[in-house]
Amino acid sequence: MPDFTPFFVSGLATAATYVLSAVGIVVLYRASGVVNFSQGALGALAAFVSWSIVEHGGPEPVAWFAGILVSTTLAFLYGRVLAARLAFSDPVMRAVATLSVALILLGFMGYVWGEAPRRLRLPTDTMSFELIGVRVTGTRAVAFALAVLATVAVMTFLARSRLGLQMRALANNRDLSAMLGVRVLRADGYAWIISGGLAGISGILLADLQRLSGQTLTFAVIPAIAAAVIGRFSSLPATVAGGVAIGVCEALLTPVPVIGPFRTAVPFLFAVVALLWMQRRFTFAYR
Amino acid sequence: MAEQALAYSLPVDTRTVRLKWMVAALVALAAIAVLPEVLSNYWLRTFISATALAIGSLSVSLLFAQLGMVSLAQYGLLGVGGWFALRISHGFGVPFELALLTGGIVAAAFGLVVGLPALRMRGLYLAIITLMMAGAIQVLISAFGFPDGGAGFLGKSTAARIMMARPHLAPTDEAYFRYAMVVLALCYGVVFLHVRGRPGRAWAMIRRSEVCALAGGVHIVAYKVWAFTLSGFLAGIAGGLLAGGVGQLDGSAFPASQSILLFALTIVGGAYSWMGPIIAGLMLRAFPALLNDFHVDGNIATIVFGAGLLHSLMTAPQGMAGQIQDVAAALRKRFAGKSGAGR
Repeated sequence: MPDFTPFFVSGLATAATYVLSAVGIVVLYRASGVVNFSQGALGALAAFVSWSIVEHGGPEPVAWFAGILVSTTLAFLYGRVLAARLAFSDPVMRAVATLSVALILLGFMGYVWGEAPRRLRLPTDTMSFELIGVRVTGTRAVAFALAVLATVAVMTFLARSRLGLQMRALANNRDLSAMLGVRVLRADGYAWIISGGLAGISGILLADLQRLSGQTLTFAVIPAIAAAVIGRFSSLPATVAGGVAIGVCEALLTPVPVIGPFRTAVPFLFAVVALLWMQRRFTFAYR
Repeated sequence: MAEQALAYSLPVDTRTVRLKWMVAALVALAAIAVLPEVLSNYWLRTFISATALAIGSLSVSLLFAQLGMVSLAQYGLLGVGGWFALRISHGFGVPFELALLTGGIVAAAFGLVVGLPALRMRGLYLAIITLMMAGAIQVLISAFGFPDGGAGFLGKSTAARIMMARPHLAPTDEAYFRYAMVVLALCYGVVFLHVRGRPGRAWAMIRRSEVCALAGGVHIVAYKVWAFTLSGFLAGIAGGLLAGGVGQLDGSAFPASQSILLFALTIVGGAYSWMGPIIAGLMLRAFPALLNDFHVDGNIATIVFGAGLLHSLMTAPQGMAGQIQDVAAALRKRFAGKSGAGR
């Protein structure tokens, strides 16, 4: 029986990045009805931008800030310019359109940075402390803290602020909210900004915790979307629980002999079970 | 009532339709005869892959155009088909055709597994679940690798990799390209028979409204499952054909991003037209090869494809095939107008 505690701790940190990404996806879906498949690619871009700035001798805080700024700006521009033009098409088509962003970013990152094995180094990597007999690096603690902070902040924002109220109204009924004077594009824009920022933070952390690779980070959107599916794209607590469960399960399977190599299929299994559970009632005819 | 019945006439002239079919068949025969002779070795191999991927794209467009379903796992199913075709070919030394069929049937079973949860899912959830499935297949394939003549169930050899046996009919590259084009034509035939026949009508009704289809006595579950199975079968055939063309498959060549690209290019090529899958296959393989000829990075192709998808979704839902047909229609109108004025 291997010792699972270190894997549990590292799993919590990975789970935190999934949670950050998933919270962004859920907020965006609630406000604008777009499932953003490019969340991972935006995070990857943020990580690459930070890495490049640090490589060229730039100060690290500026690098992280620039990375997050790039992903936020790009998300906002896409939401305001392109997604707005697709606002009246099918939800599937709006989600598929974000795939094209993921493809463009994937190609761009492959062209500029290539797939050489890299890792983004954060200064928190060298700090560490002991917890329940396991060494916890600063980055893992920061990732966990940021995930908690972001979730609480977003939940309070949606529950208390006027803009949050407008976003919830949009989620409920877009046409009626527009008629009652909610400025749809403004609320949409803020939702894209929040989700882009969260994507950037999550990407930078994941590039440190795992590795800095366009393909890997882009498809880190799969566990995040699985977490969002568990939260039915509406409930943030359920999303967080899903993200944590997926991240921790993945990490705990690492030392298990036979199924270890297949641990990245965990999100798929979670999402399938969640979907089947949600749709257990016998209603298959849609208008 | 009688007047109405008299006023009704066939919207299309049967003679021109028959002519069109004959022209299409002649062009296809000419392509099969001439194309392999004029291509260099490199381009021959590119076109073999492009033909296989056209079948893969056909499987995507079948689901998308007939039922409006977005499946992002088709390239993964291609890998599944290729895996089983290689396995059966290496393990039992069966003829190529049998290996191809086995790959198709196993991939069809996999497609069925995707299809079953999809029966209760709206479009968006189907897209999500198939994307995850593509990720899961990527994990499986990169963990197992493709069989290459070794012993055991996985068939991984530690020594030199053995190539998959080509069909007896088509041992050379030229012949194999012809063979692949014939298989493509057969796949098109199967799809056309379905679309023109009872399943096509049922799919059209389900696409329009599931409630109406149910009321009209269409067995929704059976026809949806059948679409998924058929689409999986086509993807499996494409995988087997790809494996036969190269002789072996690379475990790292089936990432989830390829499934997304295949879907994107099917939309860009035009999912609603017969031309679309062929355009998609050519773009997936021939376009990067062309860039390679000009020493341009292959990643540029991905950027172009992403931009193309965005463009198609926003302004050209019929894809490139639709645009080609529009241009052709405009030209025809112009010429018809001129000849009409001359009369």
